[in-house]
Amino acid sequence: MYGWAGQRLRVDLSTGTITKEPLTYEYRRKWMGGRGFNSDVIYNEVPANLDPFDPKARVCFGVGPVSGTAAPSTGRVTVTCKSPLTGGFGDSNMGGHWGAELKYAGYDQIVVQGRAKHPVYIWIDDDKVEIRDARHLWGKFPREADQMIKEELGDEDIHIVLIGPAGENMVRFACTFNDVWRAAGRTGHGGVIGSKNLKGIAVRGSGTVKIANPKAMMDVCNRLRQAFKPDPMKIGLYEFGSLCLINVANRDGWFPWRNFQGGAHPLANNMSGETHAKTVLKHREGCFACPICCGRFTHIKEGKWAGEEFGGPEYEHAVPTGPRVGILEDANDIWHNARLTNDYGMDGIETGGVISAAMEWYEKGLITTKETGGLELEWGNAEVVDKLIPMIATRKGFGAILAEGADRASDKLGLGDKGHYYTLTTRGMTLPGDDPRGLGFGYGLSFAMGTRGGCDHLRSLCCLELSGALYPGLNTRILGDERPNKPVTTVGKPYMVYYEENQKATTDCLQVCCFTTHWCYTVLTPDQVEYLNAVTGLDFTEEEFQEIGERVYNLERAYWARQMSGAREDVVPERFTTEPMPQGVDYQTNVGVVFPLSEMLKKYYKYREYEPGTGFPGERKLKQLGLDYVAKDLAPLRSKYLSESEKKKKKYYY
Amino acid sequence: MSNGKALVYNQEKCTGCRSCVVGCSLYHDGECGKVVSRVAVVRNERFGESFVVGCDMCTDAPCAAVCPTGACVMDTVAGITKINANKCIGCKECAMACPFGVINMHYKTGKAFKCDLCEGRDAGPVCADWCPSGAITYTSPNIAFKAKRRVKLMERLEAAKAGEEG
Repeated sequence: MYGWAGQRLRVDLSTGTITKEPLTYEYRRKWMGGRGFNSDVIYNEVPANLDPFDPKARVCFGVGPVSGTAAPSTGRVTVTCKSPLTGGFGDSNMGGHWGAELKYAGYDQIVVQGRAKHPVYIWIDDDKVEIRDARHLWGKFPREADQMIKEELGDEDIHIVLIGPAGENMVRFACTFNDVWRAAGRTGHGGVIGSKNLKGIAVRGSGTVKIANPKAMMDVCNRLRQAFKPDPMKIGLYEFGSLCLINVANRDGWFPWRNFQGGAHPLANNMSGETHAKTVLKHREGCFACPICCGRFTHIKEGKWAGEEFGGPEYEHAVPTGPRVGILEDANDIWHNARLTNDYGMDGIETGGVISAAMEWYEKGLITTKETGGLELEWGNAEVVDKLIPMIATRKGFGAILAEGADRASDKLGLGDKGHYYTLTTRGMTLPGDDPRGLGFGYGLSFAMGTRGGCDHLRSLCCLELSGALYPGLNTRILGDERPNKPVTTVGKPYMVYYEENQKATTDCLQVCCFTTHWCYTVLTPDQVEYLNAVTGLDFTEEEFQEIGERVYNLERAYWARQMSGAREDVVPERFTTEPMPQGVDYQTNVGVVFPLSEMLKKYYKYREYEPGTGFPGERKLKQLGLDYVAKDLAPLRSKYLSESEKKKKKYYY
Repeated sequence: MSNGKALVYNQEKCTGCRSCVVGCSLYHDGECGKVVSRVAVVRNERFGESFVVGCDMCTDAPCAAVCPTGACVMDTVAGITKINANKCIGCKECAMACPFGVINMHYKTGKAFKCDLCEGRDAGPVCADWCPSGAITYTSPNIAFKAKRRVKLMERLEAAKAGEEG
């Protein structure tokens, strides 16, 4: 078989049963790989009313048809489960080298179910799969456990997926790592993995990926790799990592200062990629087969945290426990906090999200030191953040409340609607460090509509709206209209988001990195189709490519619909739609902007063919995508969603 | 060496991305995988360290010296040591003798295989061509060393200057 390995590995930790299931041609053609395979399994096997921490819940790891090949950046893995943070559909993907290794071992997907009696890890040595004792690894940081497993198995070149202490303690936003530092950060599957008493999955793959048409593959890869060399975005990402965005974010006013109270700050350059490279950068890191290499490795040289080392950070990892909680004076505090969230194994975005929400509750007087156990949650109090991160990971004191995620914490503290105003979430998940009032209205729409717990920058990744300056003519080439190439405009954005959500979904199914397709725009849909066909020997077209993404997207949306989430939840935090952007620096470009969500929603619904009343995927579209069974599932739920009793419910999570 | 060029590895720049590995295996074997690559990457993830290891085309090549059948020989004109698969008996002596561990046995044929500088490829060896960080370059070693000499000297001068100012 070309491209795919053609096999799903299923491990039941309750019974110790290991099964290998063939993935048929029809199945592969319908769902493509990685994200698509995972979403299908989660929809079919994890029902709406099941607790995410129930042993019957699944957690899936998926790779795609081009994983492990010479196409640009083919190391990514999607991790999917029912999210304990949002209670809805949740996935996240990570780079590193584990994904390619899994493919070389002969698998397209791993599905883990059940719960082991004591901590275990899974060891996949090509065909041989075993469940091994991990009691001695429990409580260890990923960096420690990684080394211990490698020594135990006698091979330092294997690749390992691991959770940290936060995952073991079922923190609702714990995450998963591979190669120690590459995190699948969002939606909290680390806790689900921990709930199964699973510490990690070690893989050694000694096979290869077969290429149907090696000459065609060599030609397209040669062309693309040459094209990356002069690409301005590639150069920025290679030199400064994704922290290269800091100064741009500050200029355009999407720098998340104090829980998005502001969008720019005079000290932003303290933590810019340029400053990072000059002061603490030890090494540049590359994920598998990457022509960009945006990964960083940081070594803090001065101050209180001198000597600390860790992989990262990148933009979204650094800003939440930095400027978002008001820390900007000394960048070493920011690097240190990023090191902490890494070692404890928590989503940096959510960690910064809950702490910044708590700081704003504290500022507004909704909570006092009585609730926080004496912690003075003032903006920029680095000492408190340093204390609080381990407290969250180990569920101690006030940390135990925050470990539930921002919206649940707000309810636990009884803060009512006021509390939720400052949580800056939709569907229970915190917004990343991008303010739609500056980053762009397309992004904002995408935050409202994302299928993994609302807000997310990676669902549409519509950098097309930022591309006017770097890539003139690109919008015309992709969307047939150049006007949407500016961030702060609604023109053409509904179609952009619709198109890019589908495009990005298939890109995730291929399991290639979106930085090659959506930041650098060096690899466009025709190129992806070209290498996909060269690898598989099949005859995919651009239309089919987009259709697969649309199918996956509608299935994920249907997952939410199945648990009564629809049009009423298509919102963004009110801060963005009601509070005009204040001035942070004199060169800021977006002062006074508010985000106009409602005027874009209607058009977006039309492109998606979502039902206007419920916001559920439309029946005609579902059938057209071969999802008749989904249409059947949703049919009885439509009237329920519109009933008076449902309308009254305020749903911040599920 | 006819064109005077060789693969020069700069470990300080290696990001460990394995673009070289996938390119090498695709070019030579028409499939992708670490086990069929002539160039290898060693990663120490915990410390953020990566190293690329490939054939240095030794002047006194141990692999050629130990080959019992004359399969592994150095072409002194081209400066390339190559393994003739037809003559190779799969004894692994060359792989054992290589000081860098960059000769491997092919999983399909059981014969030894190694770097041949992508003989015949117009753009030169694919590993250097695809390397995103400049860790692998295909160049005249003497030019590379000359450049390194200058960089290192400047670094020392900078450090001395900073010391004086400090």
